[in-house]
Amino acid sequence: MEASLEQKYNFDVVRWFTVMAVAYLVVGAAVGVYIAAELAWPALNLDIPYLSFGRLRPLHTNAVIFAFGGSTLMATAFYTVQRTCGTRLWSDKMAWFTFWGWNLVIVLAVITLPLGLTQSKEYAELEWPIDILIAVVWLSFTINFLMTIATRKTSHIYVSNWFFLGMMVMIVYLHVVNSLAIPVGLFKSYSVFSGVQDAMIQWWWGHNAVGFYLTAGFLGIMYYFVPKQAGRPIYSYRLSVIHFWALMFGYVWLGAHHLQYTALPDWTGSLGAAISIAMIIPSWGGAVNGMMTLSGAWDRLRTDYVLRFLIIALAFYAMSTFEGPVMSLKTVNALSHYTDWTIGHVHSGALGWVAGISIGAIYHLMTRLYHTEMYSVRLINFHFWTATIGTVIYIVAMWVSGIMQGLMWRAYDEYGTLAYTFVESVDAMHPYYAMRTVGGAIFLFGAIVMLFNVLMTVRKSLSEGSLNKARALPATA
Amino acid sequence: MTSLSEHLQTDWQAMTANDWIGTVLTVVIFLLMIGAYFFVFRPKNRDRLESMKHIPFDEDNQNTGDQHGRQ
Repeated sequence: MEASLEQKYNFDVVRWFTVMAVAYLVVGAAVGVYIAAELAWPALNLDIPYLSFGRLRPLHTNAVIFAFGGSTLMATAFYTVQRTCGTRLWSDKMAWFTFWGWNLVIVLAVITLPLGLTQSKEYAELEWPIDILIAVVWLSFTINFLMTIATRKTSHIYVSNWFFLGMMVMIVYLHVVNSLAIPVGLFKSYSVFSGVQDAMIQWWWGHNAVGFYLTAGFLGIMYYFVPKQAGRPIYSYRLSVIHFWALMFGYVWLGAHHLQYTALPDWTGSLGAAISIAMIIPSWGGAVNGMMTLSGAWDRLRTDYVLRFLIIALAFYAMSTFEGPVMSLKTVNALSHYTDWTIGHVHSGALGWVAGISIGAIYHLMTRLYHTEMYSVRLINFHFWTATIGTVIYIVAMWVSGIMQGLMWRAYDEYGTLAYTFVESVDAMHPYYAMRTVGGAIFLFGAIVMLFNVLMTVRKSLSEGSLNKARALPATA
Repeated sequence: MTSLSEHLQTDWQAMTANDWIGTVLTVVIFLLMIGAYFFVFRPKNRDRLESMKHIPFDEDNQNTGDQHGRQ
C-alpha cells in the first residue's frame, strides 16, 4: 500500500518543502503585483526607499525563482528520486539541513534586498556571505540526491533524475563562477570580472539560470509527474534521452544573445542566436513528448484539473521556447531588446511553464503526501482558470507594450530626428502597465486560493488522522 | 565581409592554448552528441530503452494502492 511508503521513505521533508513552496508563491507573486502597480502608479512607493521598485524587484525575482521555484524543485527532486530509485534519501539529517539552510537564505534575502544590500548582478543580487551559504546548501542538496541515486535499488536511473542532476551540477558551476567577488566588508563586495567580461559572465549565468534551473529542473518534474498523473508512461523514452543531452549540450552557448549590439564581439551574439534557433528542436521534442503522453486519453483533460495544469504548462513551454530563439535573432532583437516584450516573454515562461508545472506537481503531491483527497477539487479548477487567464492578460499586455515601445524608440521623422521623446513612450505604456497589474493580481488571487486549499487539505488530513495511520503502517518493501 | 572564405578565415598562429582547449572540447562534445543520437535511434536499442519508461510505475505494480485506490 502507498501508505506504507511512509515507513520506507522520508516524506516529511518533502511535505515541508511542498507547503513552503505554496506560501512562497503567494509572497513572491504579491511583491510582483505591488511593483507592477508601482510602475503604473509610481506614488505607490510612498517615498519609502525600502518599498522602491529598484529594491523590491530583486526581492520579487528571488522570491519566485529561489524561494518558490527552489522549494518546489527540492520537494519534487527528493520525492521522485526516492520513488524511482526505490530507496530512502541517503541522509535525513542532510535533507533537513537543506530545508532549513534554504529557508535561511530566503529570510536573509528578505532582510538584505529591501535594505539595498546587493551585488547588482541580475538574479544573483545577494551579497557574498549569502552566496557562500547558497553554495553550501545547494551542495548538500546535490550530494544527498547523488548518494541516493548511488544507493538505488533499480538498475537504471530514470530520466527525471538525469534532468534534476544536470541542473544541480550546472548550478554549482554557474553560481560559484558568477559569484566570484572580492569582499571589502561584510555587506559589500566587487565582482572579480569587469567590463564586457563581467557582462558575458553575468549572462552566461543569467541565461543558464533559465536553461538549467528553470528549464532542466522543471523538465525533471514533467518527466515524472505528467506520466504519473496521466496514469501512462511517457510517450517516448528515447526522445527524452535525446532531449536531455541536447539541452545539456546546447543551453550553455546561449547567454551571449542577451548582449546583442553591445561591446561584446559580434560573432558571440551570432553564435548565441544560431544555437538558440537550434534549441527549438529539442525543446519542442520534449514538449511534444510530454503532450503525446496523453495520446488516446485526451478526454482526461475534461475532468482532471491537475493534468490540465501540467499540459497547459507544456503548451507555454513550447510557446516560450519558440519565442525566445526568435527574439535572439539580431533583426528581432533590435526591436525587442530593453522593451517590455522581454518581460512578457519571461513571464510566459515563468507563469505559464514554471508555475504551471509546479502547481500541477504540488497538487499531485498533496494527495499522496497527506493520504487524503484535496479539500476542494472545484477550487483547483477555479485556480486553473485564474492562473491561465491572469497569465494571458499579463503577457498580452507586455507584448503590446513592448512592441509599441520598440517602434516608438526607433521612429524617425523626415529630418532624421527621433519622432518621440522617451517620456512620451513611458506615458504610452500606462494602460498596459495597469493591465499587467490586473493580470498579475488575478494570478495572485489564484495562488491565494491554492494556499487556502493546501492548508485546508493538511487540516483535513490531520483531523481524519490519515497521515498518522499511514505512518503507523509497516513497510512492505 | 565579402565572401564565405573570408568569413571563415582563421589566424591559426594567433590561437592561444585556451582557444585550442575550447575548440577541441567543442568538437569532442559535438561528436559525442552524434554518438548519442546513433545509440538512441539504433533499432537494436529501442526495446531496452523504451522499457525504462515504466520505472515510475514499477513500485505501484508491486503494491495494491492505498485506501483511496491511488497509485
